Amino acid sequence: MNALPNPYAQRAARQDGALAAPVSGGDQLARRLSRRYADRITGSFVLPGREGRYAPLPGDMPPALAHALRSRGIDQLYAHQAHAWEATAAGQHVVIATPTASGKSLCYTLPVISAAIRQQAKALFLFPTKALAQDQVAELLELNQAGELGVKAFTFDGDTPGDARQAIRLHGDIVVSNPDMLHQAILPHHTKWAQFFENLRYVVIDEVHTYRGVFGSHVANVLRRLQRVCAFYGVSPQFILCSATIGNPAEHASALIEQPVTAITDSGAPVGEKHVLLWNPPVVNADLGLRASARSQSNRIARTAIRAGLKTLVFAQSRLMVEVLTKYLKDVFDSDPRKPARIRAYRGGYLPTERRAAEREMRAGQVDGIVSTSALELGVDIGALDVVVLNGYPGSVAATWQRFGRAGRRQQASLGVLVASSDPLDQYLVRHPEFFQGTPPEHARIAADQPLILLDHIRCAAFELPFRHGELFGPQDATPWLEVLAEEGVLYRESERFEWIADSYPANAVSLRSVADGNFVVVDRTEGRQTIVAEVDFSAASLTLYEGAIHMIQSVPYQVEKLDWNGRKAYVTRTQVDYYTDAIDYTKLKVLEAFDGSPAGAGSAHHGEVHVARRVAGYKKIRYYTHENIGYGPVNLPDLELHTTAVWWQLSQRALEQAFDHRQQALDGFLAAAHALHIVATVAVMAEARDLQKAVGSGDGAWFATPDAQGRAQLRSSIGELDMPLQGPFIPTLYLYDAFPGGVGLSAPLYERREDLVRLARELVQRCDCHHGCPACVGPILAADEDGERSLKTLATRVLDLIVAL
Amino acid sequence: MSALADKLRGLRRQAGVTAPAPPAPRPALPDNVAALLGVRRRAQAPAPTQRHRAREPDTLPGRSIAPGLQLIEQAHAWPPTPPAFDACFARLAEVIAPERLLLFDTETTGLAGGTGTRAFMIGAADWHQGKLRERQLLITTLGAEAAMLDHFASWLRPDTVLVSYNGKSYDAPLLKTRYRLHQRACPIADLAHIDLLHPVRRRWRGVWENCRLATVERQLLQVVRDDDLPGAEAPAAWLGYLRGGSAAPLQRVAKHNSQDLRSLAGILLRFADHPSAMDATAPR
Repeated sequence: MNALPNPYAQRAARQDGALAAPVSGGDQLARRLSRRYADRITGSFVLPGREGRYAPLPGDMPPALAHALRSRGIDQLYAHQAHAWEATAAGQHVVIATPTASGKSLCYTLPVISAAIRQQAKALFLFPTKALAQDQVAELLELNQAGELGVKAFTFDGDTPGDARQAIRLHGDIVVSNPDMLHQAILPHHTKWAQFFENLRYVVIDEVHTYRGVFGSHVANVLRRLQRVCAFYGVSPQFILCSATIGNPAEHASALIEQPVTAITDSGAPVGEKHVLLWNPPVVNADLGLRASARSQSNRIARTAIRAGLKTLVFAQSRLMVEVLTKYLKDVFDSDPRKPARIRAYRGGYLPTERRAAEREMRAGQVDGIVSTSALELGVDIGALDVVVLNGYPGSVAATWQRFGRAGRRQQASLGVLVASSDPLDQYLVRHPEFFQGTPPEHARIAADQPLILLDHIRCAAFELPFRHGELFGPQDATPWLEVLAEEGVLYRESERFEWIADSYPANAVSLRSVADGNFVVVDRTEGRQTIVAEVDFSAASLTLYEGAIHMIQSVPYQVEKLDWNGRKAYVTRTQVDYYTDAIDYTKLKVLEAFDGSPAGAGSAHHGEVHVARRVAGYKKIRYYTHENIGYGPVNLPDLELHTTAVWWQLSQRALEQAFDHRQQALDGFLAAAHALHIVATVAVMAEARDLQKAVGSGDGAWFATPDAQGRAQLRSSIGELDMPLQGPFIPTLYLYDAFPGGVGLSAPLYERREDLVRLARELVQRCDCHHGCPACVGPILAADEDGERSLKTLATRVLDLIVAL
Repeated sequence: MSALADKLRGLRRQAGVTAPAPPAPRPALPDNVAALLGVRRRAQAPAPTQRHRAREPDTLPGRSIAPGLQLIEQAHAWPPTPPAFDACFARLAEVIAPERLLLFDTETTGLAGGTGTRAFMIGAADWHQGKLRERQLLITTLGAEAAMLDHFASWLRPDTVLVSYNGKSYDAPLLKTRYRLHQRACPIADLAHIDLLHPVRRRWRGVWENCRLATVERQLLQVVRDDDLPGAEAPAAWLGYLRGGSAAPLQRVAKHNSQDLRSLAGILLRFADHPSAMDATAPR
């Protein structure tokens, strides 16, 4: 008997119409969607299927291991797995950067297990998440059982009970952990791990592309400490690293371990044909650059795919969005409670048993639609899928591919659809299909010698083992840093040695995710809760945690009720408002020293050290979608100061006078150009938007410009009162700077790629669908600004044309 | 102050870190006064301003037996030598002769744990020629640590039974780490070890307010310490000396450690005298 018809579902079925007729695969659906929604598709391409390239199981593999593989149905290796075997056998450090589902884990499992069988050698695996670590151990155990190999693998993380730890230290052949545990629990207690270290032969680090920026710079230093401790025990382990596809896997891997690394990038795994669609929701108001929501589009695409008989996975950016999209799909497909559910949600926060049950159902093919957060991006085995829909850009091209990689069967074409949100980054990416084809555009960067990060880790390293005078830490002579620590009183120098004498455990005070430890914690007080929901860097606190701020955590809005500046705490509650807040910050930069400079079109580009002074004077409330300014609030916080690194562009007064009627125009153009450059730069260095910031001002720090309520530039000479006198030459400067004291190494690579950036920024502005400017290109503008001649779009293009390389 | 230090201090302030103040240098004594007081003269040695009891001499306790290593030896008639006893109260199925016992207790640079904490004093006591013989090793330079560890190892025999209070969780692992850091085999790893905390807890948990050593001394032994240096102040006493301060507080550390050893002996004696009575009923 049929259930009562659900009116919503019926309407949806009518809307979908012939679109939803059954299809044989992702290719057919891609064609159908492309025909029907041609105007929404900004990019469409096909990655052809490829036959697998194989190699026999290596002859020098222990017979027991070969037997275990065969009994699990593995009679041969993919070419890249065989390549990895040879390279590790030759003693090289290796990074494997092949696509999702290409069998990367076997690349490190084989050498590690062989060494465990033959030499009782030990291995340390580092994964970024506990879930991944547990899945990895489960896989190792299955292989071990299949071949009765007697290799013992354990996870060692914060959940490992105290009484199990001793056994793991002594008996684990493979210890699977994460960088935080290595930093806080293993290295500072390395003597308890002596037996493990003495036999440590391999260190496996997965997902190295996630170790970038601040986190990556910390991890590089944790690896320096690891190698230092290994040297104490007389071993120098071999590293096997894995990465998603990024532009510089070998360079990045080598920066992390500070040794030469062989890259294996050519996958031998067979793949089915893969179709990719980049999807931009339709414009609903061209003047404001306003588009339909990504959610509505993702819902429609998923619905169509499921109706057409394809197994579909939707990735959403937040837990809340997972629940919303799940509800929409359930309304259509699970209206009859007597039938087994066809739609499932999957996210962190569910109990492990619930998650395992969902995984089993998915593998068994009982589920037709899954809505998930990034929790499903990696590792977890859920069987074959046909369609992946990304509700919003996941923040990097590499992560986009990892998620798309979830769909794919050998015999049948799969489809991946990226649905852009209204976020400027999404809008930028969705218009550049070339970023998803050919060479990956992203370069992972770290700055292991960032002074504060380095000091923190030399401190931790000195706790672990005394330093000799003149000893190197990474490429640096550690002595001056040790002297600083000796002045602080935590080290004591006796003849040629620096020894730890303080009664403290320094690793506990060092978080791998921030620079220094002045962080603010964000405490949720909703309905009597008292839970820490986020941490915010000191330098970002005044911009995002002022009282009254709407603070987004995983796309969920919270309002800041109270900020305890000295206690470094912000108290927030969940809220439902139709606006967001934007700090009115006055930021003044001054060039302290240029490390490098070169001509850039009619102007010049530079890289160097700058001084930043910032005051948050108040905040604006801005309504979602319309970007109307609906109110102001005061902020009264201490001024911030920052010495950091920056890349900057300048134009001479003469060039400016020829191109612009007056200074106001030029400044408007600079601010608008800064907005566009900031977007493209964020992608180029895989930065979090807040780690890299932009500013416009004078190179000598005499003045700076900020947008006023109308989006027009306003000139100020101090971060205090408003004033306008301006002496001396008028040399506007456009800065992109690292938002941390001492920098985090973002500006040097930006300087190297300066010509690309300006070209890309110019394209971004010109190819935007808005008429006069919008948040996706030059920043928000008011509807009134419709004069094409002085539109921000025109002015930004003029500035970018002047600094683009000829 | 180096340029790097200045730069780092600035960056840390910008990152919101409130930098710890460096230890304040103390005013130097005039040379002649220092000489009169017998104070060590060292490069940049600030003189002591730490308050200490006048009756403690400002000299190191014990005698030097190697560069940077002092040995303090004394013998006491009390507590008397226990009989050979059944160590069932400590869950050892053995009758133990008193000459096998070595009571030990360390004084350390802190409680933080991990590889950065060290012992600067190892005190040990055994019944020797009818008396309780106490031997304490004290390092006055970091470089002497290896010599201290070796010296302590020389007091141990394969059949030695260690006796401690919370030593299984604290002193023994700490020493094990130190031997490992000096790339030496750990001499205590395979020895039998009676940690008196455990039988005390089994017997008096919930009877006394806690089972800390001071409580046990008072309740079980009726010992009241006279002018004792609190254990928590021991690290500062040693660091102060290391940085050129007075040796007098180290005299007090040695006394404190010595008292700990005698209390250990006292507790052991109670258990050894009444191994079964201590297991169940009335405490005294």
